[in-house]
Amino acid sequence: MAGISTKQIKTRIRSMEATRQITKAMEMVASSKLRRAQAQALAAKPYFETLYGVIQDIAATNRENFSPYLKATEGVRPLYVVIAGDRGLAGGYNQNVFKLVQSRVQGLQAGVLPIGKKTVEYFASRNIPAPEIRLPDMTEVTMGDCFTLSKQLCGLFRDGVYDRVYIAYTDFESVLSQVPYIRQILPLESPETERKSGPVTLYEPSSEEVFDTIIPEYVGGILYGGLCESRASEHAARRNAMDSATKNADEMISDLSLRYNRARQAAITQEITEIIAGAKRS
Amino acid sequence: MAEFALKIVTPDGLRYEGTAEKLVVRTTAGDVAILPGHIHYVAPLGMGESVVTAAGKKRYGACIGGMVSVANGNVTLVPASFEWAEDIDLERARRSQERAEATLGNADTTDTERKLADARLKRARIRQHVARHKPK
Repeated sequence: MAGISTKQIKTRIRSMEATRQITKAMEMVASSKLRRAQAQALAAKPYFETLYGVIQDIAATNRENFSPYLKATEGVRPLYVVIAGDRGLAGGYNQNVFKLVQSRVQGLQAGVLPIGKKTVEYFASRNIPAPEIRLPDMTEVTMGDCFTLSKQLCGLFRDGVYDRVYIAYTDFESVLSQVPYIRQILPLESPETERKSGPVTLYEPSSEEVFDTIIPEYVGGILYGGLCESRASEHAARRNAMDSATKNADEMISDLSLRYNRARQAAITQEITEIIAGAKRS
Repeated sequence: MAEFALKIVTPDGLRYEGTAEKLVVRTTAGDVAILPGHIHYVAPLGMGESVVTAAGKKRYGACIGGMVSVANGNVTLVPASFEWAEDIDLERARRSQERAEATLGNADTTDTERKLADARLKRARIRQHVARHKPK
Protein backbone atom coordinates (compact mmCIF):
# COMPACT_ATOMS: atom_id res chain seq x y z
CA MET A 1 0.00 0.00 0.00
CA ALA A 2 2.90 2.22 0.67
CA GLY A 3 4.02 4.38 -2.19
CA ILE A 4 0.58 4.91 -3.70
CA SER A 5 -1.24 7.88 -2.28
CA THR A 6 -4.96 7.90 -1.81
CA LYS A 7 -5.14 10.56 -4.50
CA GLN A 8 -3.47 8.30 -7.05
CA ILE A 9 -5.86 5.48 -6.27
CA LYS A 10 -8.81 7.85 -6.54
CA THR A 11 -7.66 8.90 -10.03
CA ARG A 12 -7.33 5.30 -11.12
CA ILE A 13 -10.81 4.48 -9.86
CA ARG A 14 -12.21 7.43 -11.81
CA SER A 15 -10.50 6.35 -15.01
CA MET A 16 -11.71 2.79 -14.46
CA GLU A 17 -15.24 4.02 -14.03
CA ALA A 18 -15.03 5.96 -17.28
CA THR A 19 -13.81 2.87 -19.11
CA ARG A 20 -16.52 0.77 -17.56
CA GLN A 21 -19.14 3.25 -18.75
CA ILE A 22 -17.88 2.93 -22.32
CA THR A 23 -17.75 -0.86 -22.34
CA LYS A 24 -21.20 -1.01 -20.75
CA ALA A 25 -22.59 1.32 -23.41
CA MET A 26 -20.97 -0.70 -26.20
CA GLU A 27 -22.43 -3.86 -24.76
CA MET A 28 -25.90 -2.38 -24.76
CA VAL A 29 -25.58 -1.07 -28.30
CA ALA A 30 -24.35 -4.48 -29.45
CA SER A 31 -27.26 -6.29 -27.81
CA SER A 32 -29.86 -4.09 -29.45
CA LYS A 33 -28.13 -4.45 -32.83
CA LEU A 34 -27.91 -8.18 -32.24
CA ARG A 35 -31.66 -8.43 -31.85
CA ARG A 36 -32.20 -6.65 -35.17
CA ALA A 37 -29.59 -8.76 -36.97
CA GLN A 38 -31.13 -11.94 -35.59
CA ALA A 39 -34.60 -10.95 -36.78
CA GLN A 40 -33.20 -10.18 -40.23
CA ALA A 41 -31.43 -13.51 -40.47
CA LEU A 42 -34.61 -15.27 -39.43
CA ALA A 43 -36.79 -13.43 -41.95
CA ALA A 44 -34.50 -14.40 -44.82
CA LYS A 45 -34.44 -18.10 -44.05
CA PRO A 46 -37.66 -19.35 -45.74
CA TYR A 47 -36.61 -17.62 -48.95
CA PHE A 48 -33.38 -19.61 -49.28
CA GLU A 49 -35.00 -22.82 -48.22
CA THR A 50 -37.60 -22.50 -50.97
CA LEU A 51 -34.98 -21.63 -53.60
CA TYR A 52 -32.76 -24.46 -52.45
CA GLY A 53 -35.65 -26.92 -52.59
CA VAL A 54 -36.43 -26.03 -56.20
CA ILE A 55 -32.78 -26.26 -57.21
CA GLN A 56 -32.46 -29.67 -55.62
CA ASP A 57 -35.63 -30.81 -57.39
CA ILE A 58 -34.43 -29.68 -60.79
CA ALA A 59 -30.97 -31.15 -60.29
CA ALA A 60 -32.44 -34.45 -59.13
CA THR A 61 -34.78 -34.85 -62.09
CA ASN A 62 -32.29 -33.96 -64.80
CA ARG A 63 -29.41 -35.68 -66.49
CA GLU A 64 -25.93 -35.07 -65.16
CA ASN A 65 -23.85 -32.02 -66.00
CA PHE A 66 -26.59 -30.18 -67.82
CA SER A 67 -25.47 -26.95 -66.26
CA PRO A 68 -22.01 -25.33 -66.04
CA TYR A 69 -22.76 -24.72 -62.35
CA LEU A 70 -22.81 -28.45 -61.62
CA LYS A 71 -19.55 -29.35 -63.35
CA ALA A 72 -17.01 -30.83 -60.94
CA THR A 73 -13.69 -28.95 -60.91
CA GLU A 74 -10.23 -29.56 -59.49
CA GLY A 75 -10.21 -26.52 -57.29
CA VAL A 76 -6.81 -25.17 -58.32
CA ARG A 77 -7.95 -21.56 -58.58
CA PRO A 78 -10.34 -21.07 -55.71
CA LEU A 79 -11.90 -17.80 -54.67
CA TYR A 80 -12.84 -17.12 -51.08
CA VAL A 81 -15.44 -14.52 -50.27
CA VAL A 82 -14.49 -13.55 -46.73
CA ILE A 83 -17.02 -11.79 -44.56
CA ALA A 84 -15.86 -10.16 -41.32
CA GLY A 85 -16.36 -6.89 -39.52
CA ASP A 86 -15.55 -3.24 -40.12
CA ARG A 87 -14.35 -2.74 -36.57
CA GLY A 88 -12.48 -4.55 -33.86
CA LEU A 89 -13.26 -4.83 -30.16
CA ALA A 90 -15.28 -7.95 -30.73
CA GLY A 91 -13.15 -10.63 -29.14
CA GLY A 92 -11.71 -13.10 -31.62
CA TYR A 93 -14.49 -12.56 -34.13
CA ASN A 94 -12.37 -11.18 -36.99
CA GLN A 95 -9.24 -13.20 -36.30
CA ASN A 96 -11.06 -16.53 -36.17
CA VAL A 97 -12.36 -16.13 -39.72
CA PHE A 98 -9.00 -14.85 -41.01
CA LYS A 99 -7.07 -17.72 -39.48
CA LEU A 100 -9.42 -20.29 -40.98
CA VAL A 101 -9.12 -18.77 -44.46
CA GLN A 102 -5.37 -18.33 -44.13
CA SER A 103 -4.96 -22.03 -43.38
CA ARG A 104 -6.93 -22.89 -46.53
CA VAL A 105 -5.27 -20.54 -49.01
CA GLN A 106 -1.70 -21.37 -47.96
CA GLY A 107 0.33 -22.37 -51.01
CA LEU A 108 -2.60 -22.10 -53.41
CA GLN A 109 -3.25 -19.66 -56.21
CA ALA A 110 -6.24 -18.45 -54.35
CA GLY A 111 -8.05 -15.16 -54.54
CA VAL A 112 -9.86 -13.53 -51.69
CA LEU A 113 -12.74 -11.14 -52.01
CA PRO A 114 -12.84 -9.30 -48.69
CA ILE A 115 -16.01 -7.83 -47.20
CA GLY A 116 -15.54 -5.53 -44.22
CA LYS A 117 -12.83 -2.95 -43.50
CA LYS A 118 -10.83 -5.25 -41.22
CA THR A 119 -10.90 -8.01 -43.81
CA VAL A 120 -9.68 -5.69 -46.57
CA GLU A 121 -6.78 -4.53 -44.36
CA TYR A 122 -5.81 -8.03 -43.32
CA PHE A 123 -5.63 -9.58 -46.79
CA ALA A 124 -4.15 -6.50 -48.45
CA SER A 125 -1.23 -6.62 -46.00
CA ARG A 126 -0.61 -10.25 -46.95
CA ASN A 127 -0.63 -9.61 -50.69
CA ILE A 128 -3.42 -12.00 -51.50
CA PRO A 129 -4.93 -11.00 -54.85
CA ALA A 130 -8.52 -9.84 -54.90
CA PRO A 131 -10.77 -9.64 -57.95
CA GLU A 132 -11.64 -6.13 -58.96
CA ILE A 133 -15.05 -5.86 -57.44
CA ARG A 134 -15.81 -2.82 -55.39
CA LEU A 135 -18.01 -3.27 -52.37
CA PRO A 136 -19.23 -0.96 -49.64
CA ASP A 137 -18.35 -1.50 -45.98
CA MET A 138 -19.72 -4.53 -44.20
CA THR A 139 -22.43 -2.58 -42.41
CA GLU A 140 -23.61 -0.98 -45.65
CA VAL A 141 -23.79 -4.02 -47.91
CA THR A 142 -27.41 -4.43 -49.00
CA MET A 143 -29.28 -7.31 -50.50
CA GLY A 144 -29.01 -5.61 -53.89
CA ASP A 145 -25.22 -5.61 -53.53
CA CYS A 146 -25.32 -9.32 -52.78
CA PHE A 147 -27.27 -10.06 -55.95
CA THR A 148 -24.96 -7.89 -58.04
CA LEU A 149 -21.94 -9.57 -56.51
CA SER A 150 -23.48 -12.97 -57.13
CA LYS A 151 -23.92 -12.23 -60.84
CA GLN A 152 -20.29 -11.13 -61.03
CA LEU A 153 -19.11 -14.24 -59.22
CA CYS A 154 -21.16 -16.51 -61.47
CA GLY A 155 -19.65 -14.74 -64.49
CA LEU A 156 -16.09 -15.20 -63.19
CA PHE A 157 -16.83 -18.84 -62.49
CA ARG A 158 -18.33 -19.51 -65.92
CA ASP A 159 -15.37 -17.80 -67.62
CA GLY A 160 -13.02 -20.06 -65.68
CA VAL A 161 -11.20 -17.25 -63.87
CA TYR A 162 -11.92 -19.16 -60.67
CA ASP A 163 -12.89 -22.79 -60.64
CA ARG A 164 -14.33 -22.88 -57.17
CA VAL A 165 -16.01 -20.26 -55.04
CA TYR A 166 -16.23 -20.47 -51.28
CA ILE A 167 -17.77 -18.23 -48.71
CA ALA A 168 -16.12 -17.74 -45.31
CA TYR A 169 -18.36 -16.34 -42.64
CA THR A 170 -19.17 -16.73 -38.97
CA ASP A 171 -22.07 -19.00 -38.19
CA PHE A 172 -24.32 -17.66 -35.48
CA GLU A 173 -24.96 -20.75 -33.38
CA SER A 174 -26.19 -18.95 -30.32
CA VAL A 175 -25.56 -15.77 -28.39
CA LEU A 176 -22.67 -17.50 -26.67
CA SER A 177 -21.16 -19.44 -29.54
CA GLN A 178 -20.16 -18.22 -33.00
CA VAL A 179 -18.19 -20.52 -35.25
CA PRO A 180 -16.20 -19.49 -38.34
CA TYR A 181 -17.25 -21.54 -41.31
CA ILE A 182 -16.26 -22.11 -44.94
CA ARG A 183 -18.86 -23.25 -47.40
CA GLN A 184 -18.57 -24.05 -51.08
CA ILE A 185 -20.99 -22.10 -53.25
CA LEU A 186 -19.83 -22.93 -56.77
CA PRO A 187 -19.91 -25.40 -58.38
CA LEU A 188 -23.03 -26.68 -56.75
CA GLU A 189 -22.56 -30.03 -55.13
CA SER A 190 -24.77 -32.47 -57.01
CA PRO A 191 -27.53 -33.89 -54.87
CA GLU A 192 -27.16 -37.52 -53.91
CA THR A 193 -30.79 -38.40 -54.50
CA GLU A 194 -31.67 -40.42 -57.56
CA ARG A 195 -34.20 -39.36 -60.15
CA LYS A 196 -37.54 -39.21 -58.41
CA SER A 197 -40.69 -40.45 -60.02
CA GLY A 198 -42.81 -37.59 -58.78
CA PRO A 199 -45.33 -35.51 -60.67
CA VAL A 200 -44.05 -33.94 -63.86
CA THR A 201 -43.28 -30.28 -63.44
CA LEU A 202 -43.46 -27.78 -66.26
CA TYR A 203 -40.37 -25.61 -66.45
CA GLU A 204 -40.65 -22.51 -68.54
CA PRO A 205 -38.84 -21.81 -70.83
CA SER A 206 -36.78 -24.97 -70.05
CA SER A 207 -35.42 -26.67 -66.96
CA GLU A 208 -31.84 -25.73 -67.93
CA GLU A 209 -32.76 -22.11 -68.30
CA VAL A 210 -34.74 -22.03 -65.08
CA PHE A 211 -31.80 -23.61 -63.33
CA ASP A 212 -29.24 -21.20 -64.73
CA THR A 213 -31.44 -18.21 -63.93
CA ILE A 214 -32.11 -19.32 -60.38
CA ILE A 215 -28.48 -20.14 -59.53
CA PRO A 216 -27.28 -16.51 -59.38
CA GLU A 217 -30.30 -15.69 -57.23
CA TYR A 218 -29.51 -18.60 -54.98
CA VAL A 219 -25.83 -17.65 -54.69
CA GLY A 220 -26.88 -14.08 -53.90
CA GLY A 221 -29.14 -15.59 -51.26
CA ILE A 222 -26.30 -17.56 -49.68
CA LEU A 223 -24.12 -14.45 -49.65
CA TYR A 224 -26.86 -12.46 -48.00
CA GLY A 225 -27.51 -15.26 -45.54
CA GLY A 226 -23.81 -15.43 -44.67
CA LEU A 227 -23.77 -11.69 -44.24
CA CYS A 228 -26.75 -11.79 -41.87
CA GLU A 229 -25.19 -14.61 -39.85
CA SER A 230 -21.86 -12.78 -39.69
CA ARG A 231 -23.52 -9.56 -38.58
CA ALA A 232 -25.41 -11.31 -35.83
CA SER A 233 -22.19 -13.09 -34.79
CA GLU A 234 -20.23 -9.84 -34.74
CA HIS A 235 -22.72 -8.18 -32.44
CA ALA A 236 -22.89 -11.24 -30.22
CA ALA A 237 -19.08 -11.47 -30.06
CA ARG A 238 -18.80 -7.77 -29.27
CA ARG A 239 -21.49 -8.05 -26.65
CA ASN A 240 -19.66 -10.91 -24.95
CA ALA A 241 -16.30 -9.16 -25.15
CA MET A 242 -17.75 -5.98 -23.70
CA ASP A 243 -19.64 -7.89 -21.06
CA SER A 244 -16.44 -9.46 -19.76
CA ALA A 245 -14.64 -6.11 -20.04
CA THR A 246 -17.34 -4.55 -17.88
CA LYS A 247 -17.03 -7.35 -15.37
CA ASN A 248 -13.26 -6.92 -15.27
CA ALA A 249 -13.68 -3.21 -14.71
CA ASP A 250 -16.12 -3.90 -11.86
CA GLU A 251 -13.63 -6.24 -10.26
CA MET A 252 -10.81 -3.73 -10.54
CA ILE A 253 -12.94 -0.93 -9.20
CA SER A 254 -13.91 -2.96 -6.13
CA ASP A 255 -10.29 -3.97 -5.63
CA LEU A 256 -9.11 -0.39 -5.92
CA SER A 257 -11.87 0.86 -3.62
CA LEU A 258 -10.71 -1.58 -0.99
CA ARG A 259 -7.17 -0.34 -1.35
CA TYR A 260 -8.33 3.23 -1.24
CA ASN A 261 -10.27 2.69 1.97
CA ARG A 262 -7.36 0.86 3.57
CA ALA A 263 -4.99 3.64 2.61
CA ARG A 264 -7.40 6.24 3.95
CA GLN A 265 -7.78 4.27 7.19
CA ALA A 266 -4.01 3.92 7.52
CA ALA A 267 -3.58 7.68 7.03
CA ILE A 268 -6.16 8.44 9.72
CA THR A 269 -4.58 5.97 12.15
CA GLN A 270 -1.21 7.52 11.52
CA GLU A 271 -2.53 11.01 12.07
CA ILE A 272 -4.16 10.00 15.38
CA THR A 273 -0.96 8.30 16.51
CA GLU A 274 0.96 11.44 15.68
CA ILE A 275 -1.49 13.67 17.55
CA ILE A 276 -1.45 11.40 20.61
CA ALA A 277 2.34 11.25 20.52
CA GLY A 278 2.48 15.02 20.26
CA ALA A 279 -0.03 15.49 23.13
CA LYS A 280 1.96 13.18 25.46
CA ARG A 281 5.15 15.09 24.87
CA SER A 282 3.71 18.47 25.74
CA MET B 1 -64.90 -18.87 -56.34
CA ALA B 2 -62.14 -21.46 -56.33
CA GLU B 3 -59.03 -20.52 -54.43
CA PHE B 4 -55.45 -21.68 -54.03
CA ALA B 5 -52.87 -21.21 -51.29
CA LEU B 6 -50.41 -18.43 -52.05
CA LYS B 7 -47.20 -17.55 -50.29
CA ILE B 8 -44.91 -14.67 -51.18
CA VAL B 9 -41.48 -15.06 -49.59
CA THR B 10 -38.67 -12.53 -50.00
CA PRO B 11 -35.27 -12.31 -48.30
CA ASP B 12 -36.83 -9.50 -46.25
CA GLY B 13 -39.53 -11.77 -44.92
CA LEU B 14 -43.01 -13.01 -45.70
CA ARG B 15 -45.10 -10.61 -47.80
CA TYR B 16 -48.26 -12.66 -48.15
CA GLU B 17 -49.62 -15.89 -46.83
CA GLY B 18 -53.17 -16.95 -47.49
CA THR B 19 -55.53 -17.82 -50.28
CA ALA B 20 -56.00 -16.14 -53.62
CA GLU B 21 -58.17 -16.60 -56.69
CA LYS B 22 -55.70 -15.44 -59.27
CA LEU B 23 -52.09 -14.41 -59.51
CA VAL B 24 -50.53 -12.53 -62.40
CA VAL B 25 -46.74 -12.29 -62.54
CA ARG B 26 -44.19 -11.39 -65.14
CA THR B 27 -41.84 -14.29 -65.84
CA THR B 28 -38.78 -14.00 -68.07
CA ALA B 29 -40.99 -15.36 -70.84
CA GLY B 30 -43.81 -12.86 -70.31
CA ASP B 31 -46.87 -12.33 -68.15
CA VAL B 32 -48.44 -15.45 -66.69
CA ALA B 33 -51.74 -15.80 -64.88
CA ILE B 34 -52.07 -18.61 -62.39
CA LEU B 35 -55.53 -19.90 -61.53
CA PRO B 36 -56.60 -22.69 -59.18
CA GLY B 37 -55.82 -26.18 -60.50
CA HIS B 38 -52.61 -25.20 -62.22
CA ILE B 39 -50.17 -28.00 -63.07
CA HIS B 40 -46.76 -28.23 -61.40
CA TYR B 41 -44.86 -25.29 -62.73
CA VAL B 42 -41.61 -23.40 -62.19
CA ALA B 43 -40.51 -20.25 -63.99
CA PRO B 44 -37.94 -17.55 -63.25
CA LEU B 45 -39.36 -14.08 -62.80
CA GLY B 46 -38.47 -10.96 -64.70
CA MET B 47 -39.25 -7.51 -63.43
CA GLY B 48 -42.78 -6.32 -63.50
CA GLU B 49 -46.12 -5.66 -61.94
CA SER B 50 -47.77 -8.49 -60.10
CA VAL B 51 -51.48 -8.69 -59.35
CA VAL B 52 -52.98 -10.83 -56.62
CA THR B 53 -56.75 -11.27 -56.63
CA ALA B 54 -58.05 -12.35 -53.26
CA ALA B 55 -61.66 -12.20 -52.05
CA GLY B 56 -62.61 -10.36 -55.23
CA LYS B 57 -60.11 -7.59 -54.58
CA LYS B 58 -57.02 -6.84 -56.61
CA ARG B 59 -53.73 -6.00 -54.96
CA TYR B 60 -50.82 -4.70 -56.93
CA GLY B 61 -47.15 -5.24 -56.21
CA ALA B 62 -43.77 -4.55 -57.77
CA CYS B 63 -42.13 -7.93 -58.18
CA ILE B 64 -38.46 -8.19 -59.11
CA GLY B 65 -36.37 -11.28 -59.83
CA GLY B 66 -36.62 -14.72 -58.27
CA MET B 67 -39.10 -17.36 -59.38
CA VAL B 68 -42.60 -18.68 -59.09
CA SER B 69 -43.43 -22.29 -58.36
CA VAL B 70 -46.65 -24.28 -58.26
CA ALA B 71 -46.54 -27.60 -56.47
CA ASN B 72 -49.59 -29.63 -55.41
CA GLY B 73 -51.79 -26.61 -55.95
CA ASN B 74 -49.70 -24.44 -53.61
CA VAL B 75 -48.31 -21.37 -55.26
CA THR B 76 -45.05 -19.93 -53.94
CA LEU B 77 -43.69 -16.67 -55.22
CA VAL B 78 -40.01 -16.23 -54.33
CA PRO B 79 -38.97 -12.81 -55.62
CA ALA B 80 -35.72 -11.05 -54.78
CA SER B 81 -37.84 -8.07 -53.88
CA PHE B 82 -41.57 -7.57 -53.60
CA GLU B 83 -43.37 -4.41 -52.53
CA TRP B 84 -47.09 -3.83 -52.34
CA ALA B 85 -48.23 -0.65 -54.06
CA GLU B 86 -48.98 0.98 -50.69
CA ASP B 87 -45.45 0.30 -49.40
CA ILE B 88 -43.61 1.83 -52.32
CA ASP B 89 -41.48 4.85 -51.56
CA LEU B 90 -42.26 6.92 -54.65
CA GLU B 91 -39.71 9.59 -53.80
CA ARG B 92 -36.95 7.02 -53.55
CA ALA B 93 -37.92 5.43 -56.87
CA ARG B 94 -37.81 8.85 -58.56
CA ARG B 95 -34.39 9.63 -57.12
CA SER B 96 -33.15 6.20 -58.18
CA GLN B 97 -34.40 6.82 -61.71
CA GLU B 98 -32.64 10.20 -61.87
CA ARG B 99 -29.39 8.66 -60.65
CA ALA B 100 -29.62 5.83 -63.17
CA GLU B 101 -30.35 8.24 -66.00
CA ALA B 102 -27.40 10.38 -65.01
CA THR B 103 -25.11 7.33 -65.03
CA LEU B 104 -26.41 6.21 -68.41
CA GLY B 105 -26.00 9.70 -69.86
CA ASN B 106 -22.38 9.89 -68.74
CA ALA B 107 -19.88 8.97 -71.47
CA ASP B 108 -17.32 7.62 -68.96
CA THR B 109 -19.56 4.86 -67.62
CA THR B 110 -18.14 1.37 -67.97
CA ASP B 111 -20.16 -1.53 -69.35
CA THR B 112 -20.83 -3.10 -65.96
CA GLU B 113 -21.94 0.22 -64.52
CA ARG B 114 -24.17 0.71 -67.51
CA LYS B 115 -25.80 -2.67 -66.96
CA LEU B 116 -26.36 -1.95 -63.28
CA ALA B 117 -27.78 1.48 -64.02
CA ASP B 118 -30.03 -0.02 -66.66
CA ALA B 119 -31.43 -2.53 -64.18
CA ARG B 120 -31.86 0.22 -61.59
CA LEU B 121 -33.75 2.34 -64.10
CA LYS B 122 -36.09 -0.56 -64.91
CA ARG B 123 -36.77 -1.23 -61.24
CA ALA B 124 -37.46 2.43 -60.59
CA ARG B 125 -39.89 2.61 -63.52
CA ILE B 126 -41.75 -0.50 -62.38
CA ARG B 127 -42.05 0.84 -58.82
CA GLN B 128 -43.44 4.13 -60.10
CA HIS B 129 -45.79 2.29 -62.43
CA VAL B 130 -47.13 0.11 -59.60
CA ALA B 131 -47.34 3.04 -57.19
CA ARG B 132 -50.18 4.53 -59.22
CA HIS B 133 -52.40 2.00 -57.42
CA LYS B 134 -51.30 3.41 -54.10
CA PRO B 135 -54.36 4.51 -52.11
CA LYS B 136 -54.28 8.27 -51.87
